[in-house]
Amino acid sequence: MLEKGRISAFQMAVIMHSTVLATAILLLPSITAKYAQQDLWMSPIWAAPLGALAIWLAVKLNRMYPKESIVEYSESILGKFAGKIIGLVYVFFLLYANGLIVREYAEFLVGSFLPRTPMIVITGSMVLVAAYAVYNGIEAIARTAIVIVPVVIVLHVFGALLILNDLKAEELFPMFEKGVLPSLLGGISPLTYLGQFIYITFILPFVRDQGRSLKWGMWSLASVLFIMLLSTLTTMMLFGDLTSRLIYPVMISSRYISIADFLEHVESLTMAIWVGKTFIKIAAFYYFSVIATAQWLKLSDYRPIVLPMGIIIVIYGSWIAPNFQLLMQYMGTSVVFSAFIVHFIIPAFLLIAAKLRKGFA
Amino acid sequence: MLPPSEANQRQSPIEPNLDANLQAMQNIFTDCGDIMFRQFKAGGSVKAAVIFTKLLSNSEGVFKALILPLMNHKLESANVQDILETILPVSCYTEIHTHEEAADHVLRGNPVVFLDGRTPAFAVYLEKWEKRGIEEPTSEAVVRGPREGFTESIEVNASLMRRKIRNSRLKMKTFEIGSETKTNVMMVYIEGIAPPQLVQDVSNRLSGIQIDGVLESNYIEEYIEDHPHSPFPQMINTERPDVAAANLLEGRVVIMTDGTPFALIVPANLNALLQSPEDYYQRYMISVLIRFLRLFFLGMALLLPSVYVAILTYHQEMLPTTLLISVAQSREEIPFPALVEALLMEITFEILREAGIRLPKQIGSAVSIVGALVIGQAAVSAGLVSAPMVMVVAATGIASFAIPRYNTAIAIRMLRFPIILLAGSLGLLGVMLGLIAIIVHLGSIRSFGYPYLEPLSPSKRDYMKDFLFRAPWWTLRKRPRHVPQGSYTPPSSGK
Repeated sequence: MLEKGRISAFQMAVIMHSTVLATAILLLPSITAKYAQQDLWMSPIWAAPLGALAIWLAVKLNRMYPKESIVEYSESILGKFAGKIIGLVYVFFLLYANGLIVREYAEFLVGSFLPRTPMIVITGSMVLVAAYAVYNGIEAIARTAIVIVPVVIVLHVFGALLILNDLKAEELFPMFEKGVLPSLLGGISPLTYLGQFIYITFILPFVRDQGRSLKWGMWSLASVLFIMLLSTLTTMMLFGDLTSRLIYPVMISSRYISIADFLEHVESLTMAIWVGKTFIKIAAFYYFSVIATAQWLKLSDYRPIVLPMGIIIVIYGSWIAPNFQLLMQYMGTSVVFSAFIVHFIIPAFLLIAAKLRKGFA
Repeated sequence: MLPPSEANQRQSPIEPNLDANLQAMQNIFTDCGDIMFRQFKAGGSVKAAVIFTKLLSNSEGVFKALILPLMNHKLESANVQDILETILPVSCYTEIHTHEEAADHVLRGNPVVFLDGRTPAFAVYLEKWEKRGIEEPTSEAVVRGPREGFTESIEVNASLMRRKIRNSRLKMKTFEIGSETKTNVMMVYIEGIAPPQLVQDVSNRLSGIQIDGVLESNYIEEYIEDHPHSPFPQMINTERPDVAAANLLEGRVVIMTDGTPFALIVPANLNALLQSPEDYYQRYMISVLIRFLRLFFLGMALLLPSVYVAILTYHQEMLPTTLLISVAQSREEIPFPALVEALLMEITFEILREAGIRLPKQIGSAVSIVGALVIGQAAVSAGLVSAPMVMVVAATGIASFAIPRYNTAIAIRMLRFPIILLAGSLGLLGVMLGLIAIIVHLGSIRSFGYPYLEPLSPSKRDYMKDFLFRAPWWTLRKRPRHVPQGSYTPPSSGK
């Protein structure tokens, strides 16, 4: 066992909530609005069953191989060679995902708040703090998550309440103007994010009460769904058609918050809160990546590779796209497909193969 | 009684010959002017001598209860045991077989008696010395609650503990730590409430300490804590016996050190370090409010200067317009950027605070207040700092004093500075990063195997009643016991 720490299923749920949601909440409404327009709030709902599928796949596979993650049991299921290939897919995809997330984070901060700061400072500082968390193990990440996430959820809801005044419900209508298809198409974007639930396969071996992991996984999905709905609804009701043209509608919506003409322009505060959530996501993905690599290489301890992987992640952040527009395009097109394969196709295939094996044995 | 290391040294056994014994003792105690050698004739005929340290022993007791009965009664048997049982009215004694042991006892204030022709010698427990009376602890004053505090004498402290917990399950295990000082250290716990592996762990760590002298409990604290490099303390230290007793009832272990009134309580987590005994002595609603306030002040003490610097430097739009104008106005002539100004003022404040500790009591508070006001005012008029900055620094200082435990307050004060630097370079992002780094650190450390962020982090629903707020006493049915429920990890050996 690479990691000596143990966490509870509840802590896992809290980690995954922030992991899945952090960047989703930033970009989701705008991408979804492109396809679904005013029906965009339905899209997370369409995507939710597949998110549940991802959780179910991970938990089922974990029940068969309680102490192993997907990198390890793919070898048990498919044999050494094929299993190693699949493990390699995850190792590299996780690196790619890490770079993607870090790049999204840095682009957002540089674009909106700190335009004169070189991106590498932002990326590097975050990866450094995340490296500290990853070095201390899943328990440190879990405990940080438990401190940060409830505060963030409360502030989310609070922020939505504060702009209640400016929300116009008529923007949501006409509902299903062009039928269900637009919202279904819009569901592709939440799907990319909700599929990330599959990564609990890396945490599940370290969960103390594995019996409850399915239940808490579902609760995590529910909370993610709730916040997604909240943010899509509020942005739609606030901006209407404009939503598809804004890149960061949630952030802009926080500019509307004005209490008694006193507390204004709190988007910097929103940014600070969002940094907290994104930290957990970056640290979690960093952790997944490190664990996957260490398991694939059959290392006895993952700590020595934490910092080198951090450097690679920072570099990946710069590599991943030459500029922001191309990044957004990748997110909307090729990433969707590769994510779908990694999040759903491969685990489903593994599950079927494992069942067949058990059937033979 | 003797630490193992001394047992290995040359031990010169006690002979029946009194003169030889006395000679040996004189050799040990050359140039020790405070050691008294009193020779007399026991039972009228047997030569005897008592050696004691005048200032450490109850001289009256030596004469009345030791020398007098020995002089007056005839010594019939040759057995020292019989003599002690029939003649001496002293309450405790112990037999000694080597000169080194005898010297050790003399130095503890226990007179040693040598009888000619008889072995072994014996030491009598008649120690008495000057000690401070029981006073209110200055560092932990409360409005309502007991005003007794520990003193430097471990016997007095142990007696205070016994009085609070009248149960034979209150165990006090003694250790002798320090090769030169041979300080008495007592590990106190309630059997059945304190988890056995915790007791064993503390015991192991205490036995493993190799040091020449223990003058204060901090020496022990640094030796046995899990994370010596963390700014956060992993033990509670207290002068109050009621705090110690309350923690004993919760399953913690108290370590008392002779020579200091500060007892250590292990294990500690962040929640315990933010509690004050007064939370339990006042009505619960007040305690709830004060606890919230305390958390708020904690955040303020840590973050206020950095948030101020970040907002002024990077996020000016967050201030309401009128406030922004007045702040900008006051900052107009200041030659420094907000970051430098903040650091300057914070460092000045720390200097003033530190200097204020050493001022004599009467003028101390006056001088610090006047000094702060005068310096602050003068600096503002000279155009070196702005008035809002002085206010921010003052507010931060006061907030840090609201933290009940001094060691936690220092940790927060220390951590303020890196966060100010981060705020000056990366704005609110820097503040968040610094804050996250601190939270990650808190989440990763353990105190004696128990996670530091319990009960928040491995969330235990029962203990949450005592966390952010304090539920009334009649609802706290379960005493938070540090019974390991899966979150306990045996600490790695090697301390």
